[in-house]
Amino acid sequence: MIVMKDKYILAIESSCDETSASIIKNGHEEIATVVLSQMDTHAAYGGVVPEIASRMHIENITMVLEETFRKSNMSMDDIDAIAVTYGPGLIGSLLIGVEAAKTLAYIYNKPLIPVHHIAGHIYANNLEKEMTFPLMALVISGGHTELIYMKENYNFKRIGGTLDDAVGEAYDKVARVLGLSYPGGPLVDKLAFEGEDTYDLPLPLDDASYNFSFSGIKSAVINLCHNEEQRGKKINLANLACSFQNRVVKILTKKTMRALSEYNVKNLIIAGGVAANKGIRNEFIKLCEESAINLTIPSINRCTDNAAMIGAAGYYAYELNHFGDLNLNAKATDELN
Amino acid sequence: MTCLFIDTSTKFVTLSIIKDNKQCYFFHEKVFEDLSVKILPLIADALKKCNLKACDINKIYAVTGPGSFTGIRIGLTIFKVMAWALNIDIIPISSLELMASTKTDKDYIIPCIDARRGNCYIAIYNENLDVIVSDRFTNFQSFINNIPVDKTFQIVTYDDINNENKIIPQIDVIKVINKHKNDLSINPHMINPNYLKKTEAEENFERNNN
Repeated sequence: MIVMKDKYILAIESSCDETSASIIKNGHEEIATVVLSQMDTHAAYGGVVPEIASRMHIENITMVLEETFRKSNMSMDDIDAIAVTYGPGLIGSLLIGVEAAKTLAYIYNKPLIPVHHIAGHIYANNLEKEMTFPLMALVISGGHTELIYMKENYNFKRIGGTLDDAVGEAYDKVARVLGLSYPGGPLVDKLAFEGEDTYDLPLPLDDASYNFSFSGIKSAVINLCHNEEQRGKKINLANLACSFQNRVVKILTKKTMRALSEYNVKNLIIAGGVAANKGIRNEFIKLCEESAINLTIPSINRCTDNAAMIGAAGYYAYELNHFGDLNLNAKATDELN
Repeated sequence: MTCLFIDTSTKFVTLSIIKDNKQCYFFHEKVFEDLSVKILPLIADALKKCNLKACDINKIYAVTGPGSFTGIRIGLTIFKVMAWALNIDIIPISSLELMASTKTDKDYIIPCIDARRGNCYIAIYNENLDVIVSDRFTNFQSFINNIPVDKTFQIVTYDDINNENKIIPQIDVIKVINKHKNDLSINPHMINPNYLKKTEAEENFERNNN
């Protein structure tokens, strides 16, 4: 009998405003994860300030790594490879993680695994339930809206994505117009459940493609608020939140369900920070039940940015020898393929 | 004793390996772009040329700024992680002091890094690298106008600064290291860039809230 040796991946994620490190065993078992969020700092500015984010990443990176090893009771000797998010994301933020990972890979002579941030979000699911293929993944967050088809492990085909704002970005911008504090996306979701769909908003990019566009509906909300204000009318915030959320849910579900049917796929994964949105979650749960689709949504702490998901994806990249070298650069934009 | 010295804060990257007070590797060149691609292979290559491994390093002298924010972070992330992982001493060095190691026969050596819109990172050192006026971010012309008239001075800069009294730095790493060889090491967690300048977002925020 061949006994497979356990593989431990040290993963680093710093693509936006979370400095995170994690140790993952065999691509699905979380040994230790540390996430240091900068959200409270950026909240004062109403959004992530890239230069402040980079400054905080370099201040925290070694402490996050040390805490991860302390929690795991492991040392670098136990690690088989080092995975890192190389992109997409904020370039100044990504660079800290990439340089740290390359330095450790060099010092300890370990393989370096560059991981695409979206691949990480998808593989967050693998930490809870082994992924079944083929599958469709809808990745929705403050920075991304992507529809990815996976025939098998670590095989990605992007079939669509946003042409402008990410869905979470649209939520946060609408929240700002409604006078909600940052990050307002979750507050819009909450408010939507207290209102009714009374405002006439357009259905965003309702076409035959699998692409999304959220800047139009965002502008429609801004214009509507402006016009009502001019007329001296008061906006019903809950009703507007509900009308906005309904359109977003409608287009996300419509295109995703069509993709599942067209690609004849029975497994759907929803990932990314906006997967925590109740309105979106509930509708997908209902539709997937009706169509006998096997739906997986990771728990909320795995939906937001973290290194555990990078370690999970990194394991499969490692198995396929997808290695990087000391020339690895961070990339602000990069398509998952 | 094997020491590593690095400066990635200006367009001229400096990398030096000093073994028993002798420089066995020295790199000082303009690196135009993709610093993040080039710098770690450069370090790996330099150590290899000196027949050294990363674990042979005993001490790191890391330039923490001022200068290019991204440039500083790329170099300092590498050295911060190295010092933490290898559990070795790390000493912060000023980019301006390194420039001030240039030999001159003037009273004052004034290293300067252009920071646009008439501003710069600037300081005054003497030939022993003693600080006369500490590193700061300020308007170039008003700083120069305030230099006592009885002092002779030499501006050292890589940049296109509008002053006749300037030369390109001829840095002396050994001189800087000797000046700091007895400095106390900093906990690697606490070694961070010395930007000398808040972010624009922080400046605007403070202006609007005062």
